[in-house]
Amino acid sequence: MSARTDALRVLLRIAFRNLAAARVRTAIIGAIVLGGAFLVVLGSSLMDSIDRGMRTSIQGSLGGQLQVYSAASKDPLELYGGLRGEPQLEPIEDFSRVKEVLSRVPNVKAVVPMGIDQAMVATGNVIDVALERLRADVRRLEEGDRSPEALRGYEARKAHVRRLVGLLRDELGQALAIVDLEGREAEERRREWADLTNAASDGFWAGFDGDRYGHLELLENRIARLSMDGSFTFIRYVGTDPDAFFRAFELAQVAKGEMIPKGHRGILVGKQYAEEWLKLKNARRLDLIKDARDRRGRRLADAKDEELQRWVRENQRGTKDILQQLDPLQAEEAARRLRAALGSEAAGEDLPALLARLFRVDDANFDARYRIFYDQLAPLLRLYLIDVGDTITIKAPAKSGYFNSVNVKVYGFIQFRQIERSGIAGMTSVLDLLSFRDLYGYMTKERAAEIARLKGAVGAKELAREDAEAALFGGGGPLEGRAATARIDERSLLEGARAPGPAQDPAARTYTQEELDRGVALNAALVLHDPAKLEATRRDVQAAADRAGLGLRVVDWHAASGVVGQFVTTLRIVLYVSLLVFFGVALVIVNNAMVMATLQRVTEIGTMRAIGAQRRFVLVMLLVETATVGLAFGLAGAALGGAAVWLVRAAGGIPATNDMLNFLFAGPALRPVLGGASVVVSLVIVVVVSVLSGLYPALLAMRVTPVEAMATED
Amino acid sequence: MSIVSIRNVSKDYMLGKTVVPALRGVSLEIEKGEFLSLAGPSGSGKTTLLNLVGCVDTPTAGTVVVDGRDTSRLSERALTELRLRTIGFIFQSFNLVQVLSVFQNVEFPLLLQGGLGRRERRDRVLALLDAVGIGSHARHRPSELSGGQRQRVAVARALVTRPALVLADEPTANLDSKTGANLIDLMKEMNRRDGTTFVFSTHDPKVMSHASAIVRIADGQLVGREAVGGDAAAAEGR
Ligand SMILES: Nc1ncnc2c1ncn2[C@@H]1O[C@H](COP(=O)(O)OP(=O)(O)O)[C@@H](O)[C@H]1O
Ligand SMILES: [Mg+2]
Repeated sequence: MSARTDALRVLLRIAFRNLAAARVRTAIIGAIVLGGAFLVVLGSSLMDSIDRGMRTSIQGSLGGQLQVYSAASKDPLELYGGLRGEPQLEPIEDFSRVKEVLSRVPNVKAVVPMGIDQAMVATGNVIDVALERLRADVRRLEEGDRSPEALRGYEARKAHVRRLVGLLRDELGQALAIVDLEGREAEERRREWADLTNAASDGFWAGFDGDRYGHLELLENRIARLSMDGSFTFIRYVGTDPDAFFRAFELAQVAKGEMIPKGHRGILVGKQYAEEWLKLKNARRLDLIKDARDRRGRRLADAKDEELQRWVRENQRGTKDILQQLDPLQAEEAARRLRAALGSEAAGEDLPALLARLFRVDDANFDARYRIFYDQLAPLLRLYLIDVGDTITIKAPAKSGYFNSVNVKVYGFIQFRQIERSGIAGMTSVLDLLSFRDLYGYMTKERAAEIARLKGAVGAKELAREDAEAALFGGGGPLEGRAATARIDERSLLEGARAPGPAQDPAARTYTQEELDRGVALNAALVLHDPAKLEATRRDVQAAADRAGLGLRVVDWHAASGVVGQFVTTLRIVLYVSLLVFFGVALVIVNNAMVMATLQRVTEIGTMRAIGAQRRFVLVMLLVETATVGLAFGLAGAALGGAAVWLVRAAGGIPATNDMLNFLFAGPALRPVLGGASVVVSLVIVVVVSVLSGLYPALLAMRVTPVEAMATED
Repeated sequence: MSIVSIRNVSKDYMLGKTVVPALRGVSLEIEKGEFLSLAGPSGSGKTTLLNLVGCVDTPTAGTVVVDGRDTSRLSERALTELRLRTIGFIFQSFNLVQVLSVFQNVEFPLLLQGGLGRRERRDRVLALLDAVGIGSHARHRPSELSGGQRQRVAVARALVTRPALVLADEPTANLDSKTGANLIDLMKEMNRRDGTTFVFSTHDPKVMSHASAIVRIADGQLVGREAVGGDAAAAEGR
């Protein structure tokens, strides 16, 4: 017994000593093996962490574990949008059926209806806001409040609006000068110009107090609509059952404001969307600078950091948005506060100079300036174009080809924990499903047929569809609670924001759970009790849907995530292919090195054979040698890989420098975890590859005959 | 009783398409305890003959019987086993394993054999190293030794398994004549001490003179066998 182990010991000894003797060769092979093990451990740990992160992000934001949608759909479902916009999905006509059938499948915890789409939303602009304030003042006055404070406010607001009208006239005057117009359009433009000139005139303002509401309405209806900037933006939303949504997606949370009350129409605007698209640019840039400094270690003193320098420059120059927002009283207050906060140097400066000074930041004063902005100035400003408490008008091209619009109240901002900064999930707002249906404008076959019949009855071929629908819905304007339908026309698109349709008070319109469930949805998220049984449940759900004749396609979260999932799959394939290439090359190199080593040792091997070593002994001796290198350097490489993973973690992880990464990492940084499995796998791969690459030379060595020991050179 | 019995053996090598007859109808009996020298000019077939006796090669025709076994009937495995148990080799270029120490080189065949405990192996190796006069260098690497010392280690390695037969192909060719003579003295001493049969080849007459008998070979054929210095009677070749 001891002789066998002794023989093994001598084998190991020979192997080690040979490795030690051929340092360069061992170093080369070792480096390759070490690098391989390192790459496998680090790569697979990162990949696993990304997988985990992505699962958290997708399952916790929109995906759930499974998704169902109509099997008749042309495109596959893509929860986060595709490269060519939103996928074309056929509607699920009656969600309540789907809910009823699928809820009964074991392991299904919740079925959440969804309809994802994009729409335009009117954001209003400075004139709108100023007019709104002026209207509030006018109302107070008309109600009899004659306090000096109310009067001062009223005068300030009036001066503000007057200034804005003047600015608008300058702006449009320039635009008119460069366009020559003809016909009907020219006539309209001339009328607009006349309106503006009138509204900017001394006479108009002198007469304001004579008929306050009359003047106000003229400004609201004829003037405000002429201001084009900041008029509308795009919004991506998921129409859903808000309660069910929050129950199903634990990452979702209301970041500001409140939850949409049960049974009410409303929207929760995506926080990240609000930050990027709706926030006052100066504030946004301050946030970005703060983030760059605090989380990325970037410094304002770094002249090469073009982006940072640009933000600072633009903040100093671009104070127009702030100045226009403030009426004279507010401007005075802002200047007072800034003078106090910015110290003695700022004593004699006016507001534009003070703002420029405020935004002239460097590394030493940034944090203080940031606080001054948010503590002193921000309370006087409207920071978001759309904010909590607003009622907004959303317009979307409906199935019919016409624009549908709904007015909904903004109850709050929504964000997803851990992935707050991700644009992928954070760009999506949550809308009640009924409003979604209004925008989507889906008509059941019966209703479409009815419209066709009506059209026929009227007998007018050229009758526009809106008229037909008007006829169907009882003529006149759009009904309360019904979607307004309009032609695709930018002008009319903007109208909604300024002049909300009569009697459309969205807050007053409620719906029951029954109404919510009965109707169209585009897809539904399924949350499972036990996410581990994903595939089995997917089959069960598919079978149940088929049995009930629902015509549904059932996919898992990964497939439903579309490009996001594909990106990770691609990443994984890239990793595997590069590892495969790496080990392929490694195999060839190690093989060559070992063949050369074997050829050098022919005499030694022949001697051992002559002395009485069996072929197997020689084979094992050579294999032990490569396996030893593989194991020793593989362990070292795996340890280094583990250390690298640990270091990356200790350093705060790999920062998510963009939205995609933030989403994939399920947080602002990827904090990889060393997988025990990845270490074992890396060692197995490395040892297998070394043994494989040592196999051919070992077989060569095995064929060395003892006669070759006798061969001498002389 | 002969330890090696060679009967009518021929060995042809193929050199491309031409046949090179290295041995032509050789017959030879080697008795236990002999100290036999194989003499002949370069290319005469000494190495070829030793390879056949040493079971590292097999004849083209005729039979080679070593320790009672016909080598042409043995498998590769069995031949290796026979070499391990019955034969010791001393090579012209010493052929020590460079990465092992003197002690480990000598111990190596015992490890291949198995069966001996660590302590027994150690005692036997050290005793043998003392006997060949190299005991103080047990821990050295072969590269740290002179040629004569290395060949002594080789002798010890050949003897450590207590083989019946030790073969040495021109063991002194890489040594100067004085060191060569000392080595032959050592081998002869071992031959006397244990009665181990030694067969060595040489073309150095001074070295030959130490043998108990000389077998002369020329052009692949035995040309004579003579006893040296009144040693035991020798059988005639052919
Ligand atoms: N492997 C071989 N291939 C071809 N010819 C060989 C081979 N080995 C030996 N020979 C030839 O056989 C003859 C005998 O060689 P060898 O036994 O080595 O002689 P010696 O050892 O007496 O010098 C020589 O002519 C030699 O060239
Ligand atoms: Mg020779």
